[in-house]
Amino acid sequence: MHSTNKQGLFNWLAARFPVREFSERHLTGYYAPRNFNFWYYFGSFSLLVLVNQIVTGIWLAMEYTPTAESAFASVQHIMRDVHYGWLLRLMHTTGASAFFIVVYLHMYRALIYGSYRKPRELLWLIGMLIYITLLLEAFTGYVLPWGQMSYWGATVITSFASAIPYVGKYLVVWLRGDFTVSGVTLHRFFSLHVIAVPLVLCALVFLHLVALHYVGSNNPDGIEIKEHKNSSGHPIDGIPFHPYYTLKDLVGVMVFLIIFSLILFYTPKMGGLFLESENYLPVNALQTPEHIAPVWYMTPFYAILRAVPNKFLGLVAMAAAIALMFVLPWLDRSKVKSIRYKGVWSKAAIVLFIICFVGLGYLGIQPVSTLRSFMAQVFSIGYFLFYLTMPFYTRYEKTKPLPERLTK
Amino acid sequence: MMKYFLLLIALICSSVNCLAEETQIALDHAPIQVNDIASIKRGAKFFATTCMACHTLIYMRYNSLAEEAGVTYDRMPINVKNWPLNVTPPDLSLEADVRGVDWIYTYLHSFYADPSRPTGVNNLLVPNTAMPGIVAALQGQQVFATDMRASRRYFGGHLQWYDELILQSQGALSPQQFDASMTDVVNFLYYSAEPYRAEQNRLGYWVIGFLLILWAMMYYLKKNYWKDIEK
Amino acid sequence: MTTKDKEEIDAARRCFLRRATTTVGGIGLAATSVPFISYWLPSVDTEAAAAPIKIDISAVQPRQQYTVSWRGQPIWIIHRTQDMLATLPQLTNQLRDPDSLEDQQPVYAKNINRSIKPEFFIAIGVCTHLGCIPNYRPEIGGVSPDWLGGFYCPCHGSRYDLSGRVYKGVPAPLNLKIPRHMYLSDTEIMVGQDQEGVEGA
Repeated sequence: MHSTNKQGLFNWLAARFPVREFSERHLTGYYAPRNFNFWYYFGSFSLLVLVNQIVTGIWLAMEYTPTAESAFASVQHIMRDVHYGWLLRLMHTTGASAFFIVVYLHMYRALIYGSYRKPRELLWLIGMLIYITLLLEAFTGYVLPWGQMSYWGATVITSFASAIPYVGKYLVVWLRGDFTVSGVTLHRFFSLHVIAVPLVLCALVFLHLVALHYVGSNNPDGIEIKEHKNSSGHPIDGIPFHPYYTLKDLVGVMVFLIIFSLILFYTPKMGGLFLESENYLPVNALQTPEHIAPVWYMTPFYAILRAVPNKFLGLVAMAAAIALMFVLPWLDRSKVKSIRYKGVWSKAAIVLFIICFVGLGYLGIQPVSTLRSFMAQVFSIGYFLFYLTMPFYTRYEKTKPLPERLTK
Repeated sequence: MMKYFLLLIALICSSVNCLAEETQIALDHAPIQVNDIASIKRGAKFFATTCMACHTLIYMRYNSLAEEAGVTYDRMPINVKNWPLNVTPPDLSLEADVRGVDWIYTYLHSFYADPSRPTGVNNLLVPNTAMPGIVAALQGQQVFATDMRASRRYFGGHLQWYDELILQSQGALSPQQFDASMTDVVNFLYYSAEPYRAEQNRLGYWVIGFLLILWAMMYYLKKNYWKDIEK
Repeated sequence: MTTKDKEEIDAARRCFLRRATTTVGGIGLAATSVPFISYWLPSVDTEAAAAPIKIDISAVQPRQQYTVSWRGQPIWIIHRTQDMLATLPQLTNQLRDPDSLEDQQPVYAKNINRSIKPEFFIAIGVCTHLGCIPNYRPEIGGVSPDWLGGFYCPCHGSRYDLSGRVYKGVPAPLNLKIPRHMYLSDTEIMVGQDQEGVEGA
């Protein structure tokens, strides 16, 4: 054997594990469209933030105590007494909000380029499952500091179950493990947040990547690069993921980390959006805060819930708002995938949808008022119309002719 | 479309609370400098001698700066029952994060004489507060301005505390000295809420500086490889 | 410049960029690991709980053993009488390390009494074999017919004399550990700290 030690070790491994095959199929041999733009960074950013949450989370769990008596104090212990505890905790809280920013932008990319269309419907469904799981992870995580917002947010969200007819009130007690949210609830949420949900999340992310690699990535033009292959059998408009997109993603990661660090080191509370002031008060079961709001990433759905003046129907509306996202692949009847080639109706619809979604998000943070309730109702209707009218405007609008080959 | 995004995000971020919600008094800006250790130490001493008779600071147990100034666990009124008016003075370890430094600064300036109250004082930011007029010895006695037209000044449509209160008799400190003293206390309370703040800012420079360098290097490396496939 | 020259320069430049970026990136990763590693160090409150303690020895009667817990371990204060001290020189060739050559005590305890004052024996009551707490057996003939007094570990039978020096032929390899300590007065000692400094973890 004339190879160096490092090569020898690699060869030993490669004879017993499919490292070469993996590299060839999924890195150097995975051909991705050459025209990936800004919107294509957010998938790898999501993976980066997932790793951040897991690693900082593991470390935090070493010093955190999941009991009603000690949880709040243990967080202060981490912030003050543990070396660099404050840094790891702030990385975790900034990461939680960063996760949703990145995931929403990732989903937006899918929306505008039709990445949910055939043959990627399953990819989209798995992605939606990841989104729901992420919401659950964020919710259970926010309860753990056991501040006022943790407790009252948990109380409000677990009482959603009571709107279900007949079994509702038993379900709530079953969820909480007690008649009100208490240390029992906290402890089980800790287990869910630290073990159960992360396992599900990692499994789903793995499946998401498997589904993606099986059909290949979409691109800003929405045309399939596999339709034009060269003599070696590779798509003409494709480039190997490694080294081209690994390097490009790394450059993007640097920018992401700079923005992340600016927030982490200078404004981690983000004016009360990422870390709410109310949560710096320990739980007081006898005093509701003036203003209960979920964290910003859940507020669009919270605003829809509040817009409907009926407890049960409000919940139905909120569930429907999320459920509609699942069926998106079957609502879009357009001849083309990407917004670049869709008609003016689709373009207007996306703009209005974003205004409604962001508007709902903003309203969800604010306290109620007559004007705001009205606006929330308007935006909610807009939100639902985007989905419900989609089968019609996508089918009948005039689209632009698709190019044969990828454009830049 | 990006512009709408950014505009909305900017609007949300700028809706940070500059008003005290209960009474709509505009909050005065507390001119604290987080790396002014001398100011924090003065504030700590003030806290130990004046505030700690009633207020605890339970999460500052192992902090050496606090200990040196006399803010120690055994001197705090922990587990005291039977407070006057049945209101337990809140622990202030995290108050600067709950209310904000501007709120606390304004609160300390906003006491005024009110004979209808058992304590003899009231506060613009917390109507019918149970807290006695501790600061009166230093600031002096303030009264609610009876002639509003004479002293009214507007700041974006909201009143400042000094638009509603008049200093009737000065205390041990002049207004400027009182401001400085309260700045020190608020600085200490902010330190109590976030003792790592100065280090956090300092680390930020290094991390972002390093990332800028690494970003440049990654960029050139990427450009070098992509030359192979650029047409 | 030929194409081949240009290719060589490009390859060299690429190699340089790769190496340089990897190095700087590596420095970044190393720096990132610092908070994660530091996090595992004892936190400020843990260090406070492990701080040296003052012990009042005024009530310890002759021949009495007084035990205080410190850093999760028993600290023994034994008030030795003259006849107990007299047994020590007789045992030299039965002991593994009669002159305390192994590093199990501070320099001021490197004597036959293994203490600052002969009448007070201060030691960490943990067997140097596998960590059990030995029993205090001061009575003559207590452990065996020729037993002159000392400590007997029930776990595996290790034996120590009244200065905590380990016998030959027992599983324990070393004399009992003597912690840093100092006398604040005739009635009060500080365990965990002496003139030189504080005891390590």
